[in-house]
Amino acid sequence: MAYKSKGFMIMKNIKSLGMALLLLLAFLPALSFAMDVDEIVNRANLASYYGGDDGKARVKMVIKNDKGDERTREFTILRLDKEDGGDQFFYLYFHKPGDVAKTVFMVHKKVGGDDDRWLYLPALDLVKRIAASDKRTSFVGSNFFYEDVSGRQVDDDTHSLLEETDDAYILMNVPKDPDSVEFSKYKLWIDKKTFLPVKAEYEDKQGKLYRVVEALKFGEFDGVPTVTESRVKDLVSGGETVLTFSEIAYGVGLEESLFTERYLRKPPRKYIRR
Amino acid sequence: MGKKLTELSIKHPKLLLAFALLLTALSLIKVGDIQVDTDPENMLGADEPVRVFHNEVKERFALSDMLVVGVVNEENPDGVFNTETLRKVYELTEGAKLIDGVVVQDLMAPSTVDDILQAGMGSVSFKYLMDEPPKTREEALHIRDRIMANPMLYGTLVSEDGKAVAIYVPIERKDMAHRVSVELKKLVDHEGKGAEEYHITGLPVAEDTFGVEMFQQMAISAPLAGMVVFLLMLFFFQKLVLVISPMMVAMLTVAITMGTLISTGNTVHIMSSMIPIFLMPIAVVDSVHILSVFFDRYQHYRNRAAALREVMNELFMPMFYTSVTTMVGFASLAMTPIPPVQVFGLFVALGVGVAWLFTVLLVPAYILLFIPEKSLDNFGQASGKKGKGEGRSPLAKILRVSGASTQQRAKLYIALTMGVVALSVFGITKIEINDNPVKWFVDDHPIRVADKVLNEHFGGTYGAYLVLEPADSAGSLKGALGEVKQYFNSAAAEAKSPEALLAARDMASFSEDLAAEAEAKGDSDPAPYFKALDEELSKKFEGVEGDNYDLLDELDLMSEGLENIRLSTHIFKDPEVLRYVDDFQKTLAKDPVVGKSNSLADMVKKVYMELLEGNPDEFRIPDTSAAVAQSILSYQSSHDPDDLWHLVTPDYRNLNIWVQLKSGDNRDMEEVVTDVDKYFAANPPPGGLTHKWAGLTYLNTVWQERMVSGMLSSLLGSFLTVLILMALLFRSLLWGVLSMIPLSVTIAFTYGLIGLLGKDYDMPVAVLSSLTLGLSIDFAIHYIERARETVAERGSWYEAAREMAEAPARAISRNAIVIALGFLPLLFANLVPYQTVGLFLAAIMAISGVATLVILPSLIKVLAPFLFKKEMGRFEAK
Repeated sequence: MAYKSKGFMIMKNIKSLGMALLLLLAFLPALSFAMDVDEIVNRANLASYYGGDDGKARVKMVIKNDKGDERTREFTILRLDKEDGGDQFFYLYFHKPGDVAKTVFMVHKKVGGDDDRWLYLPALDLVKRIAASDKRTSFVGSNFFYEDVSGRQVDDDTHSLLEETDDAYILMNVPKDPDSVEFSKYKLWIDKKTFLPVKAEYEDKQGKLYRVVEALKFGEFDGVPTVTESRVKDLVSGGETVLTFSEIAYGVGLEESLFTERYLRKPPRKYIRR
Repeated sequence: MGKKLTELSIKHPKLLLAFALLLTALSLIKVGDIQVDTDPENMLGADEPVRVFHNEVKERFALSDMLVVGVVNEENPDGVFNTETLRKVYELTEGAKLIDGVVVQDLMAPSTVDDILQAGMGSVSFKYLMDEPPKTREEALHIRDRIMANPMLYGTLVSEDGKAVAIYVPIERKDMAHRVSVELKKLVDHEGKGAEEYHITGLPVAEDTFGVEMFQQMAISAPLAGMVVFLLMLFFFQKLVLVISPMMVAMLTVAITMGTLISTGNTVHIMSSMIPIFLMPIAVVDSVHILSVFFDRYQHYRNRAAALREVMNELFMPMFYTSVTTMVGFASLAMTPIPPVQVFGLFVALGVGVAWLFTVLLVPAYILLFIPEKSLDNFGQASGKKGKGEGRSPLAKILRVSGASTQQRAKLYIALTMGVVALSVFGITKIEINDNPVKWFVDDHPIRVADKVLNEHFGGTYGAYLVLEPADSAGSLKGALGEVKQYFNSAAAEAKSPEALLAARDMASFSEDLAAEAEAKGDSDPAPYFKALDEELSKKFEGVEGDNYDLLDELDLMSEGLENIRLSTHIFKDPEVLRYVDDFQKTLAKDPVVGKSNSLADMVKKVYMELLEGNPDEFRIPDTSAAVAQSILSYQSSHDPDDLWHLVTPDYRNLNIWVQLKSGDNRDMEEVVTDVDKYFAANPPPGGLTHKWAGLTYLNTVWQERMVSGMLSSLLGSFLTVLILMALLFRSLLWGVLSMIPLSVTIAFTYGLIGLLGKDYDMPVAVLSSLTLGLSIDFAIHYIERARETVAERGSWYEAAREMAEAPARAISRNAIVIALGFLPLLFANLVPYQTVGLFLAAIMAISGVATLVILPSLIKVLAPFLFKKEMGRFEAK
């Protein structure tokens, strides 16, 4: 969940309005209490998946099993929003390991519909569409799911505010279609200042905690509060995956044409180089 | 010594009895600390290399021991692929997930495995094969078609005829197997009756369940055998209070031995649980000798103490020697390389010692304390007249006639014996050494039935792992680091900027340091070294100014070069290596015992084919290692990406071929091992890969081999020891050799029978050889001692032979009959090793009894002129 979380709760074009709002909130603390669950969810969604109008980062993914064996993957991720909170494009280009280098994973995220997803395998010179059904399968062998990469649709769950602490909203999220997922519900901690999700705890169908996603480090880039390190732990297998983000930039000027099948075979060197 | 002990017993009977009871009580104090260990794996010491490797392989590939639950539907034309059966399979799987100790993420069932399939428009999809129970026949049949289209699954998850589906239930530890199987049975019962049959098997269940049932069996068999022995003694001696004494000796002996075993912290293993069964006959034998002679002599003296003095004087030496020889037989087991067998041997030896002491001290004490002389008026050879009473029984008549016959046709009997020996030797050459823990259960035991049914349907419920790894890992790490150094040296030579030159030189010297470190430590795992190299190179990136793209590109190139060398250590991504594995598996599949084998090669082939539109022509290993890697990457986008690590280690330097066998017979596993060795010798694997076996089925063959060779050398060792002891006892080598003849014939004949009857030479049979040795010498000792005494008294073997056919022959026969019949109830046990013990004891007793009473007198008749010089001297001196 917390994975691609370079979000910003207040968009640049409404920054001044946001400042005014903040001032208002400072004078009327009771109001913040009244913040509606949907509002929190929407803001969190924006903060974690819609920071800036576009963005890029180089990601190091370290997958560890219960014995401590480590495997590393490195990729560059590019993102372009059609509109905030709306449809988006993702482009992931693998650098490492060397034998999967140049592999590309691309997503057209459609709010309220099935995402389109592609995988380009250079050694087979093959572009594969990935069916919409497997959102909760492993993302390239890590403990993250495909759904964690592009974000779970906000409408897929019903949300309720469990608790409000000094720095976080704690939300309970229950899937509307329980058969489509392996969890029964998850608890989400949302930072009150940045609206970045800081932790998610997933319970299985027996109500046992089995999966924890956490944001470990934060930073601010181009004015956007961003998670720079996150980790998912699989309590059943004992494995975990840590993502470290570097070379983070927003507003890099990505074009929509880049997120087409044509560019799977011909990656935009300008954006994926160091 | 004998006289002193007898006097002690006659003078202080109460004290002795009290002392024995106290000793027994003491030994039982800590019996509550009992530690049970039913794992046959412990037949090998914990530090045994094969076992260490087995555990290492389990750890390396995160493998768990598995139970196999089979659901069979023979009634429905669609087999198990109907909505009802699949719903039950689904619910059973869901239930199994909740059982404590089940490794949920590795549970293998239609609802937990992924199907990789074409989803139209060039797209590929990972879906649970059966994410919910099918609602229509079409859906059910679709699941069948999907499984049949997946070579990784058919034969493993579903039988090829579609009539059976399997759920593989991995467990955290083997000692949970029985409990988990009981809980699974509850789930099955919960489903209620239907067209389905359910079966649960797998080596872990068999082994663990055997442990459980073994104790139940002990609780039935030992007392039952005791009861029959008791009734038989009552029949022979007609006096209840009297025959209680051997029973008392047996029970105290068993209690003290087991009490000591447990209190000294030894675990009660499959082997040691048999101690009571072994001790019981041994403990009873000597007492029966005492009672027998007492029975024959009492009317002579009509005084208990006097009769006992005479009895003990006559029996003390033979009893001492029979006990010592039995102890030697069992103690020699300490020389076998199998820890539980060592414990077993030593404690039976201890028990035999205890039994001897209790017999010589307690039986006389008991007679004096609890049997008033008055009550003995009608005891034994009633009214003292010769040829009446005991001497008139049918047994006595038979013995008299056969005794006479041996003297008339001695040479015929010797010739017959030689014929029997020849036949036995022929039988021994036919012996098949084989074992299978599942076959420790009787034919109609649910585990045996499950084993049979499921192995008919599936690739096999017995698992073995064939692990491939590079022969010289340390050498190849050294080679790889050398390559890295060379690479950076040439990168330095081609560097376009001073910064790049510096970076490349740094890296070259860094890799040189690492190579030295690796050599010093003797390391073989490349992963940490390449990680260190990568981190070192990352530092070079950090120092670069943001817009110095030329330098960044140069460094990126170096990073790529380093990465390529690292990947070259991933031998199991090499298409040539995978093709070798694939070809090997194709040959392996032709072996009739091998039902199936699964490896990384199968997985790569399947994924590659599905990526290429499911075209069957592409069911092959792709041509480049990058294509292999990308096929694997695609596979990892499934629900269980970690399943990959059961097949290969994350460094791609260890490969695991999971071999499913239809039979767990050691003989069959050994054959597979030999065939595989031959294949690897005839087709040397690329890059000098070595192959090594692990897995329970394989492990069993290793300890069996130890056991057979260990038993043989321990048998030979104790045979020699006993021969020396006999020569010492009789102070004559000739007598010593003579005394070994009935025993040798007994052993030869018993094992000859095993070969002729085609019974497998298995663990229980191997252990019984020591019992055979210890027990079958006994009769010969008693017979020879008495024979020599009698000759010294009568002055000729001719007369002595007739007397030997009376009381001494009866004592031996009574003993043989009591033990042989006493343990026959074991034949009704539902565990095969117990049946074997029962059968063996009967055979040993019968054969050694006959051998002693027929072969010895015949041989003595022929050899008499050489044998009785001393005795004749004594007779003449009188």
